[in-house]
Amino acid sequence: MKRAFITIIFAIGAFPFAALAQDKVIRVGVLMPISGPGSYFGVMGKEGIDLALEQVAKSNLNGYRLQVQYEDSACSPLQATNTVKRVLDQLKPHIVIGEECSDASLAIAPILEQAKVVQLNAGSVTMKLTESGYKYVFRIFPNAEQQSAPLVKVAREKLKAQTAVILYEKTNAGNDNAEGFEKPFVAAGGKVLAKIDFGRDVNDFTAIATRIASLGKVDVLPTFALEGQQVRLSQALAQAKVVKGGGGPGVQMGSIWLPFGYDQKAGQASVGYVRIVQFDPNEKRKVVQDFVKAFQAKYGADKTPTHINAHAFDTILLVAEAVRRGAKDSETIREQFTKFKDVEVTTGKISFDKKGQNSDLSVVHFVETQPDLSWKGMSWQ
Amino acid sequence: MTDLLTLVVQQSVNGVYLGCLYVMVALGLTLIYGVLNQINFAHADFVTVGAFTAFFTATRFATKALGMPDTGAYLLSLFAALGAGALLGWLVSAAVFAPLRRSGADELRPLIATIGVSVLLENGQLALFGPIPYQFDSPLGRQTIRMGSIFFSAQSALVVIVSVAAIAALYAFMRFSFMGKALRAVAQDRETAGLMGINENLVIALTIVIASALAGVAGALLGPVVVLTPFTGGSLIVKAFACVIIGGFGNMEGTIIAGLLVGIIEAFTVQYLGSGLIDLVVFAMLLLMLVIRPTGLIAERKEENV
Repeated sequence: MKRAFITIIFAIGAFPFAALAQDKVIRVGVLMPISGPGSYFGVMGKEGIDLALEQVAKSNLNGYRLQVQYEDSACSPLQATNTVKRVLDQLKPHIVIGEECSDASLAIAPILEQAKVVQLNAGSVTMKLTESGYKYVFRIFPNAEQQSAPLVKVAREKLKAQTAVILYEKTNAGNDNAEGFEKPFVAAGGKVLAKIDFGRDVNDFTAIATRIASLGKVDVLPTFALEGQQVRLSQALAQAKVVKGGGGPGVQMGSIWLPFGYDQKAGQASVGYVRIVQFDPNEKRKVVQDFVKAFQAKYGADKTPTHINAHAFDTILLVAEAVRRGAKDSETIREQFTKFKDVEVTTGKISFDKKGQNSDLSVVHFVETQPDLSWKGMSWQ
Repeated sequence: MTDLLTLVVQQSVNGVYLGCLYVMVALGLTLIYGVLNQINFAHADFVTVGAFTAFFTATRFATKALGMPDTGAYLLSLFAALGAGALLGWLVSAAVFAPLRRSGADELRPLIATIGVSVLLENGQLALFGPIPYQFDSPLGRQTIRMGSIFFSAQSALVVIVSVAAIAALYAFMRFSFMGKALRAVAQDRETAGLMGINENLVIALTIVIASALAGVAGALLGPVVVLTPFTGGSLIVKAFACVIIGGFGNMEGTIIAGLLVGIIEAFTVQYLGSGLIDLVVFAMLLLMLVIRPTGLIAERKEENV
């Protein structure tokens, strides 16, 4: 009796240690804008991550599970800095996903580098993020150079553009995209008639459209701004008869900033808009169609996932893949990421180069908005 | 030369339209300051509430439930936004301003209370409507009016018409109605007005209701023009404050002139200096005004402001 009692006491005493040994967790901090004008990134990002977590939880991760903590970094360098410090202190993450906006992503990169925690980025375009020598930064989103060079090529070779007006928001991302377009466009013999920047608080673009109309014939208008501003900008340009959507000659061009659904919001003003897409819900790859089905099953049949949903979804798939391949902490996640080659996710096949930038752009392509607001695919090169 | 003239006229038209939007937002601010000597930091959120009220009235209620045509639905939404703004103003007056006034609080506490109301409204709307931009397309926004080389949307014309009507109605109310005269009396000297039999509390509540109703209409006009999110009002309020300061705090005529001036200066800044310099130019103008003429464009004695 006494022996049985001792056995029970030992068993009870040993239980917490056994549970601890089994509680193999990869802690993931997610920094996204949940407030402010970029907060739609955060909402869509969370939708993608929640869906991915559900799917990953059903698979075998070598006994590990993913623990995610969301934080609002508001697209703001200051708030992102404060938030990432708190996350590092409280959660002690093995990896941080985020931020979406370039300024905020750049702000947290040196902090995570110093803490030796991996930063996986899926939405920032600024060159500096992967060009600053950080060892723990990885990005699946094409950078400014990767997007701007093909934009120039399409502008010059397919659209035969001679003149351009570059429109961009005053941020690191906007500046990088604008410069990324201007230099090769001018080098290829094109002429930039004006570079027009604007803050995120600008709402009325009529005066800007009037100015552009006064510049003479403009062939292309590369535009780099958040969705809300892009909608109003397109409508103002159409009203001023600058772009095809308003009966003008100009073609508005854009990078992967715009989520799926922009065309419906801008209406006829978006007709003729040529832009880069990395995620196309109509793509036939199984991973894409499975994602679209799962997304609509969870969030509603009338809801089509955007590239923001898809990028966020992919980040969790990549973390899970690294864990499956043996990663168990920040250092080993980094090691596994560096070995990634053609890891298939919804936004393409991921292969990180030495700088941590995804170098595989096989899925990326152009689309042109048609009069019925549908997309017509255009080749990447 | 003709091209230059066309350009100047076109940017002036753009500027007047933009200025009218600023005036609509700034009028409520200056009205409350003129009577209560207080700044309402929640004013931007009243504008946003007006914008969302108009959005749901026009796109859900009027078109779908009542089967109204798009234009009629949008015009109805202006009145709905006016009503929502007035109701919100009455609620805030009764729940925040009146109790603080009764408790004899200093000027700082109502100011801080309006910041609280602002945070409450902003986050409430964020929870209700989410952060993803709404597509609020006024049917008038899709109609472009062209007069020779000059163009503007029917929505811009509506903004100018409604602004002029609102200013005229407000002016007539202030000058010719008993309550308007009572309101001016309270603005001049609250204590003496009370001794003359004017119900001070009623007049103050009415001021807040009128200012909020104006904010609601401003929201309904802004909704189809701006990016509609729970933060919409905030993007314009700083400029509206600039108009109020440049015009002279609490001075309606000054605010109207300043609003138009800021709108026109913005349009020409975009044309000749670059849109990135808009804030620099407007706020340099504000600082200059504070240095040269701290009382604003139209310097009057305080009691004549409202």
